[in-house]
Amino acid sequence: MPPFLSEARLPHDAIPAPVIAFRTAHAAVLPIPFSRASAAFSCLFRIDTSGDRNQMGDKLSTEEILAAIRGGSSPAPDSAASETENQDTAPAEDENPAADEKADASASESSADDQADAPKPAAKPAPTGTAGILDAIRSGGAGSGASAAGGAKQDKPSSAPASGSASAAPKSTADILAAVRGGAGGAKSAASKPAKKKSAETPAVDSEAVRGLSAAEIIRAARQGQPPEVAEKKPVPLPSRPLKPKLVVRSADEMDLPTSRRGFVSRFFAWITTPVVLAWTAFTATATIASLATARFMMPNVLVEPPTKFKIGPPSDYPPGTVSTKWKAQFGVWIVNNEIDGQQIIYALSTVCTHLGCTPNWLEGEQKFKCPCHGSGFYKSGINFEGPAPRPLERMGIRLAPDGMLEVDKSVKFQQELGQWENPASYVPVV
Amino acid sequence: MDPHPDLTSSVLTGLGWYYLIMCVMNVLWTVRSYRVDGQVPKSVPWIGGIPVAAFWASFSALLMMVSVAYFTGTRSPETFPLRLPDSFKDSFDAVTANPVVFFALSVVGFVAMILLRRIWIKDTVAWLLLNGALLFMGLSMTDWDFRQIVGKPDNVPIVGMLFILGFLTWIYFRRAVDNDDRIAAGQPLYEQEDNEKVLVWPDLVYTELICMVLLTALLIFWGIALKAPLEEPASSVKTPNPSKAPWYFLGLQEMLVYFDPWLAGVVMPMIILGGLMAIPYIDFNRAGNGYYCFRDRAFAVSTFLFGFLPLWVAMIVLGTFLRGPNWNFFGIYELWDVHKVESANNVNLSEYFWEWPLFRSIYGGIPRGGDVGTILIRESPGIVAMIAYFALLPPILGLTILRRFMARMGVIRFMVFSNLILWMAILPIKMLLRWTVSLKYIVGIPEWFFNI
Repeated sequence: MPPFLSEARLPHDAIPAPVIAFRTAHAAVLPIPFSRASAAFSCLFRIDTSGDRNQMGDKLSTEEILAAIRGGSSPAPDSAASETENQDTAPAEDENPAADEKADASASESSADDQADAPKPAAKPAPTGTAGILDAIRSGGAGSGASAAGGAKQDKPSSAPASGSASAAPKSTADILAAVRGGAGGAKSAASKPAKKKSAETPAVDSEAVRGLSAAEIIRAARQGQPPEVAEKKPVPLPSRPLKPKLVVRSADEMDLPTSRRGFVSRFFAWITTPVVLAWTAFTATATIASLATARFMMPNVLVEPPTKFKIGPPSDYPPGTVSTKWKAQFGVWIVNNEIDGQQIIYALSTVCTHLGCTPNWLEGEQKFKCPCHGSGFYKSGINFEGPAPRPLERMGIRLAPDGMLEVDKSVKFQQELGQWENPASYVPVV
Repeated sequence: MDPHPDLTSSVLTGLGWYYLIMCVMNVLWTVRSYRVDGQVPKSVPWIGGIPVAAFWASFSALLMMVSVAYFTGTRSPETFPLRLPDSFKDSFDAVTANPVVFFALSVVGFVAMILLRRIWIKDTVAWLLLNGALLFMGLSMTDWDFRQIVGKPDNVPIVGMLFILGFLTWIYFRRAVDNDDRIAAGQPLYEQEDNEKVLVWPDLVYTELICMVLLTALLIFWGIALKAPLEEPASSVKTPNPSKAPWYFLGLQEMLVYFDPWLAGVVMPMIILGGLMAIPYIDFNRAGNGYYCFRDRAFAVSTFLFGFLPLWVAMIVLGTFLRGPNWNFFGIYELWDVHKVESANNVNLSEYFWEWPLFRSIYGGIPRGGDVGTILIRESPGIVAMIAYFALLPPILGLTILRRFMARMGVIRFMVFSNLILWMAILPIKMLLRWTVSLKYIVGIPEWFFNI
């Protein structure tokens, strides 16, 4: 059992208060089947608190590590991984516990002295920048972790977990973090504890020296190469960590679900009245109504558009060989009286270019429609002959109304490339 | 009174300021030349021993006199003599008012830019080029039509862009040639030797702040001085003539002249964007990382610059300055005549193929009919050509002239690469075909809205 659990020990087999409240409330106000159903649901998502806290929390977060360094009494994993090779090569020098009060650098020197391959950062001048500090940490191993190992060894060399990071200088940031997690985690309890308590499970740690200091103070101290001056070493009690409920899914027979039809109905009712279902149902309904309301705009009450069928006057208004542009602005059609294949006909051409939809202009001098956007050109017949337009202009429907007027129907169109210009609805013969 | 006067009093005043600024620039250059350039070699007859700066001093004096002349001639602009002669304008238009010539000139200029890079990166040559461009602008401003196009508020940024682009290209080539020489001589690179690393604060942030203030001031001045060209309310049945895209899309609009809308407006822009994004994955050349160079990356740089300068920037210039009403091609000194007739009669490849006398005598002309088989047979020449172009050409290239690329890239990467190159090449190919043989579409199936 790691020591931090002894500080904030959880009640075993305790049912969390919310669950209890949930059950009792339902039992109080609801008929029996419903309370049974709620019990079934609470079985489904039973909150289990009896598990060992340590199984979930053996990896420390950065905040916890920082708190460990600052407060010294931080939670620590029972890092079996860190009880490693260093037990044999652990330093056994006769340093009194006061040596542990030294700064990180000097402490790591003392432990590193026994490492044949370990460099001696403390022998060097004090690191001057962040990079220097990092280098010092890299070469010397995690200082506090190493010193913790040293401090632990001299009291309880057999059981104290030596910091794994002291064995070899970590190379990367990940190594350093691992070292801090393992070593500084190993430094969980106060370094002075070997001197004071000599508890079997409590490894010594040098982070006593830096306990209660801010990160800036630690770095400044490391720059000066001197131990940080600690005003007071009162251990700050850690706040108890919030519970992390554990989800346990029980098997069906274990849940003892009711099987009657009545039970099913009541269960469904219980499910349908849960807040999340209500909320999503309301949201879906609202969204559906909004979509339908928007779709209503597709069928407006009043359509402010020119009619698709309109009279354009008698055929005599359009003498042979002319292109009339008088309906272009209003309806977007040219009325052409032209001879095609030996037959004099009147037809209505759409004013939309078949290339990209610009509006061409009728050039009387050149007898062609010319698009200003990309230079497509069309003959009077509507056939494309220059520029990028891939197909001829489209004809609109046209007919001779019973009253002798020409009537254009824009709702139908006739495309030459599909052979639709043969359709008699696409032209009116001039007699 | 001429409704289109070449010169007015305000134009003369503006040009007076223009030449005065040029004069000041050249005076500063004279000072620099006096310090740096030294003397003309003694061996040169007549002018040997004279400081080079003397020529710049006399050029500055000439500019000053021109400026004074413009300022003092404002009373009688009709008779002012310093203007571009009509004979020059007519001959210039006759040669350049033609997309073929324009495109050919842009390609020639591009090749010359790369081949002559050692010459034009020199300070004096670059300054001569700048002066030449400014003189050309100033003289052309005495033409009414040129002024209408270049002076349009829409087009001012394009004129500015041309100068900025020239400057940035010049900087690139200057640095690249410098580093090429260093590599050849075994010296350290410019970026290593003259390490310009500075601190973010204050060096960079201060510079950015100053740039921000200056640019804001410039934009405010611009927004006040040049009005946004608003037009009449939009109408679905009335299109302005000519109708031009925003200036940065004019290259795209020029592409639309030669291709179907979905191809030039959708497919090819996406290929352009995707191809640009694919460059880091296609590129196998490890040289040239983090320093300017040309020789190490000659292929990559040339390909990119070809796609950027002749195929994009030159198209923007063409669309801005040279396309007029009805999207006809106009010279820069030519009046935008709505009724200018350009006869063209574009023909699809299938018509060329089936109406060819030999095939006509055998098959009796182009197949007619709307069913699928007939359409496919009708367009088979174009379809075969396209399949050959996109499917057969890459392996052929990879096994012949681009063998080294295929070996370095692997098959898949090479296929992607070669297809992107072929897509880039299809634009000038189609342009040339349109200009030379009036080809409308290689594959033209208007029934299915499928045209290439």
